[in-house]
This record gives sequence, structure tokens and C-alpha cells, in this order.
Amino acid sequence: MTAYILRRIIQTLVVIVLLSYFSFYIMTLMPGDPVELMIQSNPKITSADITRLRELYGLDQPVYKRYATWVTTLSHGDLGYSRTYRIPVSDLIGPKLMNTFVLSMASLLLSLIIAIPLGVFAALRPGSKSEAIINLFAFSGISMPSFWLGLMLMIIFAQTLHWFPAGGTATVGMDKANIFAFTLDRLKYLVLPTVSLAYMEIGAFVRFTRSSMLEALRNDYIRTAKAKGLSRAVVIWKHAFRNALLPLVTMVTLGLSGVFSGALISETVFAYQGAGKLVYDSIIANDFNVAMVSFMISVIMVLVMNLIADLLYGVVDPRISFK
Amino acid sequence: MMDTTNEISGSLSEQQRLELEHVVPMWRIVWAQFTEHKPALVSLFVIAIFLITALSAPLLQMVTGLDPDAQNPLDRYKPPFSSAELSSDQREDRILQFVNSNPEVAKDLQDEVIKKGLVTPVRPEDALYDLANKDRKEIVSGLKEINQPAAADLIKVVKGFQTYHLFGTDELGRDVFIRLVYGARVSMGVGLLVAISSALIGFLVGAFAGFYGGWIDMALMRFTDALLALPIIPFLIVLAAVDMNKIPLLRDMVGTQNESIVKMVTILVLFSWMQVALLVRGSILSLREREFILASKTLGAKDSTIIFRHMFPNAIAPMLVSVTLGVGNAILFESALSFLGLGIQPPTPSWGNMLFNAQELISEAPFLAFLPGFMILITTISFNYLGDGIQDAIDPKAIRR
Repeated sequence: MTAYILRRIIQTLVVIVLLSYFSFYIMTLMPGDPVELMIQSNPKITSADITRLRELYGLDQPVYKRYATWVTTLSHGDLGYSRTYRIPVSDLIGPKLMNTFVLSMASLLLSLIIAIPLGVFAALRPGSKSEAIINLFAFSGISMPSFWLGLMLMIIFAQTLHWFPAGGTATVGMDKANIFAFTLDRLKYLVLPTVSLAYMEIGAFVRFTRSSMLEALRNDYIRTAKAKGLSRAVVIWKHAFRNALLPLVTMVTLGLSGVFSGALISETVFAYQGAGKLVYDSIIANDFNVAMVSFMISVIMVLVMNLIADLLYGVVDPRISFK
Repeated sequence: MMDTTNEISGSLSEQQRLELEHVVPMWRIVWAQFTEHKPALVSLFVIAIFLITALSAPLLQMVTGLDPDAQNPLDRYKPPFSSAELSSDQREDRILQFVNSNPEVAKDLQDEVIKKGLVTPVRPEDALYDLANKDRKEIVSGLKEINQPAAADLIKVVKGFQTYHLFGTDELGRDVFIRLVYGARVSMGVGLLVAISSALIGFLVGAFAGFYGGWIDMALMRFTDALLALPIIPFLIVLAAVDMNKIPLLRDMVGTQNESIVKMVTILVLFSWMQVALLVRGSILSLREREFILASKTLGAKDSTIIFRHMFPNAIAPMLVSVTLGVGNAILFESALSFLGLGIQPPTPSWGNMLFNAQELISEAPFLAFLPGFMILITTISFNYLGDGIQDAIDPKAIRR
């Protein structure tokens, strides 16, 4: 067990290191490095200046050397400076990660609350009309372009009905209000992004719950339980559902990483100030330091969640032995 | 055992026996099974209609006379089911173009028009321009009486003065309907291309890993697992933002014309072959132990012959399912990237990039945001149902005879 955990952790670390180099290389391929932008904004710049600037920023070095420099500064706790926001990257990234975390958890919770009952219900009535409707609902969830759902929600609930704000994270100045008003305000901004993000997951969750429930219902112990004369509710929830829960645990952890990466689109549509929007904005604005750090943090979060999912699987299912 | 079989077959009439012995080909069983899945059948129909529409886009353009790139700043944000009339300036421009492209014929036509008394211009040169500002029906019926081949050409020009916009016009006055049709071409084309190429790559990787095993399998599967674990959307965005011209090898391969489409397909394939690879590896692993593979090995068949001749046909059924599901996913990712402005670049219309501008215009023209996304939803949902139907149809456990 310990050996397995150690091996998985080392694997994840290796993947992270390789990925960071790969992403660093990819970032150098993006149009416009810092010096090119200076050239654009300053018509009087001479070619001597350009060479000097390139040397100053180390842009004349090969990629692996620049990577080494970047890693060294990182290890000193210096994440660099944001060009567009004019503040250190470390100050920028904390609150945004928190926002994304709140959004992801809220949509994960919402999707589970809706998906699990629907999935169980569909599994209990195979071939019925209600199953077909649940299926359609699930399929449309999987097939839904979340940005479009976001736009539609915006048109209906923000533009026409004025129930929720169309975008943003909080009303300006609300952080000085009391804690209750502040939370309420944040919640109002959270509703539409959460729904648009959750619907994507609901489809997958419903189908997963349904198949894992069907699998559980096929077991011999269900027949035994029924034969003992246990009530339907006890058989379904205590015997079948508890066993169906095992694969669900992994699904939820993997779902969290899906939500975390999918949040990028919902955040961008609703201008919700999260880590995903930060990745997108910094790439669009050629803000290299921010892009690199926020991207790597998002990737690491997802990889760690996958690791946890893997390990949890062994904890919840004693039948699995780690080699 | 023998006795009972004889007993049963003895009790059957000749006709029943024939019925039992009648061989049903595999594809017919699969098809029969497939038709039982009603949503999948409907989806197949929807996809067929969309594909036919997408393929006949130039034809539709010819018939309706609409141009996906024709901008008309005066007719922006027209609601659906409306028609747009060109202003008199624009009409005269069109006539000027007509006159300039065939001056002699225009001269004859001009004389004819004056002779018929359709218009009474101050100067004879103005005849056609004056004509253009009259009622459209009047012009057409007047021109029909003129017995000249050029008159028919002019009628075509005049008919273009008024355009009917089934789904309205966008922020540049372009017709939404014809752009949706051309967008279907791009979106479905990218989807199909990505699904098919990733199936091929996935097959190669999976077959290699499954067939050779050992360290090749180890290395390939570690790589596949690592890719599967990545958050796809941030990765797609980072890769989509890359300037392809900075990679020397790719720069020579990709022409500037379809750069964004080629780029899109490449990036999406990079992140969608893994499912197929895992699937194929699984089936190759079990196929490897079968007798017919052993037989062809004994006969001295080459590895490539065994993989492509004997294993590929047996692995194709599960691959078909994942290709179908892959199309839907590819369309979703393409549209998401195009929506973010990183995918297919305008003016080439794709369902995703039609939504790019629509977002800022939801107060002026909410309908612009509706249709492209709805098309994406309908298409992906159809492909997902189709995949589900195929899965049920080829699943031997589900087959009832």
C-alpha cells in the first residue's frame, strides 16, 4: 500500500515536472514576447536597444536555460510580476483560486443533488417513459455547450427577468458591508455560473449513477434481501445504493477535476474572477508570468485530485488491492 | 443430449425448421437491434439532414442568392423572417457594376427600356439607374417583355435588391441562415475529421501496446494515462494560442489559407485519441490469445498483416462507438475554442465563432446568440444518441433473436 502510494506520488511529480517544461516551451511559441510588445509601443526604439532588452530579459537564451532560470526564481518564492495587473503574481492568484474553488464546489454539489436521485430513479424503472425523459435530460447535459447555456441563462434571467446579475463576482464596495449582506451578494453572482457549469456534469453523473445502480441491483445479495422480505426502500437504499456508491466516489473526485477545468468557460462567459478566467485573460493579454503560473496551478490541482481519486478508490473498496 | 435435440427438431414442421436454419447476416441483426433504439434512429436522420445541408451549401447559396460574406451595414440585426431592401445608393452601385461589366449590352438595354417607355430619364444614360429606383415587381415585369438575353441578367441583379433573411442578419448585416449552413460545414467537418484521425492514431497506439506488450505497452500506456489525466480545456486554450509559424516544421506544412482549421483539427486530435487507444488495446489483448491469430502467426504472417488484416476488423465495432461519441465531443470543443476567439478565425463562419460576437450583443440581438448554440446542441446530442444506439446494437449481450 505505502509502496503504491509512493509510486503514484512520484509518477504525478514526474508528470508535473515534464508538463511544466512543456508548457514553458509552448508559452515561448505564443505570438509576441515582452520585448516585441515594447517595440510596438515605442516607435523610436533602436535595434541596439532591442538586443540589449533581449539580453536583459534573457530572451536570447535557449528555452531550457530560460526554464532553469524560471524554476530557480520560483524556488525562491518569487512568482514574477504581472504585466497587465502591475502586481506580483502571488498576490493575484490567491483570491482567484478561492473564487474558482467556491464555484467548483457549488456546481459539484448542485449536480450531485440533482443527478443522484435521477440516476437511481432511472435505474429502478428501465424502459419506462420517465427513464427516457431522464435519459434525454442527461444526454442534453453531456452535449450542452456550456458557454451557450451560460448565454441563454444570461438572456433569460439577467436580461429579461433581472433576477441575477449578468456577470461579475461581487458588487463593488460590498466587501465593506456586513457578513450576511456580503454572502448574499456573492451568492447572487454565483447562481448563473454554477448552473451553467453544473448542467455539464449532471449528464455524466446521471448516466454513471444509473449504470452503477443497475450493476448493483443485479447482485445476488439483492435477491437475497428481497427474499428475506425486506421493504423496497431498505433494499434500494441500504443494499443497492450503498454498493453503487463505491464507483460514485471516484466519479465525484474525477468530476471535481472536470468541474475545475470546465470552470474556465463559465468564468469567462460570466466574467467571474476565477483562476480559469485568469488563465484565459493572461494568455490573450500575453501576460507570460501569470499565464504560466495560473496554468500550472490549474494543472497541478487536477492532477492531485486524480491522485486522490485513485487512492480513495482503494480506501472505499476493500476488494481492490494495491500492487 | 442428442436425443432431446432430435426430439425437438422432429416435432418441428418443415417450415419452422427452415426458419430456424435461415442465416441472418450480422449487419442485419445489428440494424434490427439499432432500429429498436428510437432516439438513435431519429438522431441518425437529423445528422443525415445536417450533413446533406452542409454539403449542399454552395447550391443553397446559388438558389437563395445569399452570400455568407456579403456585408450590409444598413441591415444589421434584422429579426428572423424579415427581408431587407437595398437603399437606392446601393441599388445604383449594383447597376453601375452591371453596366461596367458589359457596356455594349447595357447600351442596347438602355435604348430598349426608353423605347418601351418604362422610364423617362433626363439623360438616356440614366435610364437603367432610374429604373432601379422603381418598384421591384414593376421592373421585373417590364424587363420580361424585353426580348434580350441581357434582360434576364438584369432581372437577376434586380432580384438581388431584396433579400429574404430566414434567421435575420448579424452585426455586419450578413445573412445568418447561410452562415449557419457554411458553419455546419466547418463544425461538422472538423468534428468528423478529428474523430476519424484520432481513431486512427488511437488504433495504432492501442494495437502497438496490446500486440507487443512489455516495455512498449508500459511506455505507451503511461503516456496515454498521463494525457487522460490532464484538464483538457486549459490545455486546448494554451495550445490554440500558439503561433504555429514559430514551429518550423508546421509552418511549411500549413498554408495560410486554412490555418485555423488545420490548427484546430491538430490540437483536438492531440487530446482525443486516448479513449480509442485504451479500447483498442483491450480488445487486442484478448484477440492476441485467440486461435485464428495463432494460426496466422504459425503460417508466418507479418505483424502488420496480423494487426491490420486480422485484428482491425475485430476491433472496429467498439471503435465505431467511440468515433461517433468523438464527433460530438470534437464539435463541442471546437465551438468552445471558437467562442473564446481562439478557434476558427473569422470570416470563416463556424457555429462557435458566430457566438463570439453574439455575447456582447445580447441586449441588441438576443436571437443571434440562440441559433448557433442550438445547432451545436442538436448536433452533439444526435451524435451522442447515435453512439449509444450503436453501442446497444453491437453489444452481443443485448442482442435478442
